[in-house]
Amino acid sequence: MNVKNLSKSCMMGQRQRAGRKGSLSNRTPDGITVGIQDSPKHNICMVSDFFYPNMGGVESHIYQLSQCLIERGHKVVIATHAYGNRRGVRYLTNGLKVYYLPLQVMYNQSTATSCFHSLPLLRSVFVRERITVVHAHSSFSAMAHDSLFHAKTMGLNTVFTDHSLFGFADVSSVLTNKLLTVSLCDTSHIICVSYTSKENTVLRATLDPEIVSVIPNAVDPTDFTPDPSQRDDSKITIVVVSRLVYRKGIDLLGGIIPELCLKYPDLQFIIGGEGPKRIVLEEVREKYQLHDRVRLLGALEHKDVRKVLIQGHIFLNTSLTEAFCMAIVEGASCGLQVVSTRVGGIPEVLPEELITLCEPTVSSLCQGLEMVIAKQQSGSVPPPAAIHSRVQTLYTWRNVADRTEKVYDRVAKEVVLPLDGRLDRLRAHCGPVAGSIFAFVAVLDFLFLLLLQWFVPDSVIDIAVDASGPRGLWRRARTRQKEPSANCHKDTGTGNGEHLYGALFKKR
Amino acid sequence: MSDDEEFTDINGKVIFLACQNHSSFCREFTVSVPKVSLRHVMVYTCSVWLVAYVVFFLTENTAVLSGAIFVTLVGMLLHVHFVKIDHETLLIIGSLGVQVSSSYASGRESTTFIEMSKIKDIVINESIYMQRVIYYLCILLKEPTDPDALSSVVPLFQSSKPRLNCLVKVYKSCQEILAQC
Repeated sequence: MNVKNLSKSCMMGQRQRAGRKGSLSNRTPDGITVGIQDSPKHNICMVSDFFYPNMGGVESHIYQLSQCLIERGHKVVIATHAYGNRRGVRYLTNGLKVYYLPLQVMYNQSTATSCFHSLPLLRSVFVRERITVVHAHSSFSAMAHDSLFHAKTMGLNTVFTDHSLFGFADVSSVLTNKLLTVSLCDTSHIICVSYTSKENTVLRATLDPEIVSVIPNAVDPTDFTPDPSQRDDSKITIVVVSRLVYRKGIDLLGGIIPELCLKYPDLQFIIGGEGPKRIVLEEVREKYQLHDRVRLLGALEHKDVRKVLIQGHIFLNTSLTEAFCMAIVEGASCGLQVVSTRVGGIPEVLPEELITLCEPTVSSLCQGLEMVIAKQQSGSVPPPAAIHSRVQTLYTWRNVADRTEKVYDRVAKEVVLPLDGRLDRLRAHCGPVAGSIFAFVAVLDFLFLLLLQWFVPDSVIDIAVDASGPRGLWRRARTRQKEPSANCHKDTGTGNGEHLYGALFKKR
Repeated sequence: MSDDEEFTDINGKVIFLACQNHSSFCREFTVSVPKVSLRHVMVYTCSVWLVAYVVFFLTENTAVLSGAIFVTLVGMLLHVHFVKIDHETLLIIGSLGVQVSSSYASGRESTTFIEMSKIKDIVINESIYMQRVIYYLCILLKEPTDPDALSSVVPLFQSSKPRLNCLVKVYKSCQEILAQC
């Protein structure tokens, strides 16, 4: 009833347009009218613990992917946990709706998982937004796993993107791997960011490689353009931009710095990033009196990364493990010579002539760097603009969205396992003990869902007004309105929703 | 003129919306919820008394029974006087302001008036409420020093919580009046 009312009032334009298409339009199961010439449009919910205002690779991946999917006409909403004062519903550029759900954060911005407590809120989001595909991100995010679990209980299609590599040997990875096995064994499709990561995930979660796709990350090439005038050509500058943690091989860096500084008097290091290993670099700097040649910039905001990168000639990456290294693509996009360790998915990332790969040891990295320094001194390196134009086309978000869309199309055709099938799968796949336990949890989750459906039937949950997607009001409200309301982009403490509705309803 | 329309609240219970057009720039919206039903009173009273009787049976202390009577009476009084709201009224007068009042089941009324000069806009917002996400109507108040900034948000129809279709109706009427001034 209310939906009809709403569509009567708000979606006249859409109706008329759909009506004009007439014979060309078909109806998807969720009731969205789309033209037959387009691929079906999905209602996607991205779920991850990690989203802005937190900063990092996963966060920007989710944001960029969502923006490109919205551009392609899908409806995208994001669910994450509340960050301090930032809770409730917010809108980002192009009507990307973000739910900051008040779930308790336990460790490292990851929520506590009890398998159940997030169901009421997530169900509310899934039902009111008429979600058809739930896309969870990052295996470190408990909320992502919870949402997969609940989505499967609710009979929705699920996609999971894994952003990281894991080991197999220590206790914590054995446990995470088990959880991942349970979480992924009945997930419709899994996306990895590199072939190495795919191999790793398939082994860790004992998956069928058929349902694992590889879609690399991307960088925005317009954000990372070279500018050789910023370089100091009297010296050779090596830039390192990474979090200063063990995983990024900062100890190796601590070994390289004195050795190379001793050999080359005109060499300097610029190191951007913050982390527990900063102390290692500070010690090295202190011990060898390199204060004028090693600059530690501390934490960098994403917008400042380019400013740092364009000051350098060589980009150095010393990671010990990496599924897909965004940093080296950004470095190469800024026209730098890239030297990196040969670990994880890094060899797949850039073509051979753009990168110098070394073993993750101090001597091998020094060798590689010396080679590149020699090339730099003799002037036989390609100009930055040439490198940029090569990298520019390698990884674009549009391409990522294109390939992700194909995954959604494939997943949407699949049938979600019913409860009994799911229980069999769990018990067959995850071992007798863990399988039985999680089968029991799945049954409890199902009963909890029935209870919730009895308390609050789906019919009394108001269907949300779409901001993006085929019925999206955002773009139409903005195109209809000549002077765009500045409020939509301004982040007032109470959220942008009110402005959107103010703007949307007023324009009629 | 007044017309009662039937809507439901966010829990699927029936509520009534009455719109009164006093003049072209003065409208009154009243959301009414059904009165306290006898059945509910009976159910709550009986359950309290049954529990009290079981406790009495086990402890053989008559104070429990008198306590139960006391609890029921006080509980009912408090509920009727402080919790149960029968009508919520939004009176909007263009160029003057908005009056929000709620009348409790006991007949007590609480009223607030907001001047038009303080009101930035009336909008439908969505928020998280008790493990769900709901729509609500609210008044945005201006910051006295900076007219572009928001100082606070006053939610409307807080106790009846109508669903979106009802809110949209009220919202549109309100906007018609706001647009005039």
